[in-house]
Amino acid sequence: MLILVTGGSGSGKSEFAENLVLRLHTKPYLYVATMYPFDEECLQRIQRHRAMRREKEFDTLECYTGLKDAGTEGYGTVLLECMSNLAANEMYQEGGSGDRCVEEILEGIRRVRERCTHLVVVSNEIFSDGIEYDPETRRYQRYLGEINCRIAEMADLAVEVVYTIPLVHKGNLEKLEERR
Amino acid sequence: MILVVGGCFQGKKEYAFRQFGIRPEEAADGALCPPEAIFETKMLYHFHEYIRRSMEEEREFSLEELLEKNPGVVLVTNELGYGVVPADRFDREYREKTGRICCQAAQAAGEVHRVVCGLGTVIKHG
Repeated sequence: MLILVTGGSGSGKSEFAENLVLRLHTKPYLYVATMYPFDEECLQRIQRHRAMRREKEFDTLECYTGLKDAGTEGYGTVLLECMSNLAANEMYQEGGSGDRCVEEILEGIRRVRERCTHLVVVSNEIFSDGIEYDPETRRYQRYLGEINCRIAEMADLAVEVVYTIPLVHKGNLEKLEERR
Repeated sequence: MILVVGGCFQGKKEYAFRQFGIRPEEAADGALCPPEAIFETKMLYHFHEYIRRSMEEEREFSLEELLEKNPGVVLVTNELGYGVVPADRFDREYREKTGRICCQAAQAAGEVHRVVCGLGTVIKHG
């Protein structure tokens, strides 16, 4: 199964996605971490997420760019977090795919999905604060928006998390266990 | 406790007045009210502003204390976090803090309503 979990910042989407993985109960679990530790604030976020995952039996793979060649073989369930970071890394990091990032990332998603039973992708809603950003940031929003739409098209289940509460936009969350 | 969330200018407050039979004079404005008003009022709107003020004034907000003192309160808040990461550090912390408190509030709430275009959807039922 391919599952998209999206939501605003601080909406509880990560914890929701992790618990979804546990419900799918298809081990071993791999956590693909995409946040590059730029500074102390990033490190704190990474630490908070590590603490949440403790005792959930995830292996962790850091992948900042080049998802399609990441070593995700041999896992039952892969949790990728977060698409907003991966897209930004692809656009701006050295060795990233820049303008081609939408296609590169989608190819990565397809490949990872072929190699595991379940892939859960966490993404981020960054599209409705009413602020007119500079053209570069608009471009980032456009790319991430397109990636989200394309993943949702492929996905069996698409969920938006609002302050820990799941709103199902596609598929059936109640029947999740039947799809293990 | 009941939590009402949604974007700005969506008619959340009016929705809550109608939905829960609360009169405007029975509600407190989180942007202006004294800090302790949250423990007495039937409804507090601009809850996100209340959180922002508590951060600016370095008061630690406790949801547990609120639930103990005013378990029937209706909290109305903007749903933050649907934008690009803010450039300003305080804005980032404010967005994060509001998110975490609202996650806790949603978990503790008997009902959660989400308002779009003045129309409410109950996303957590009591």
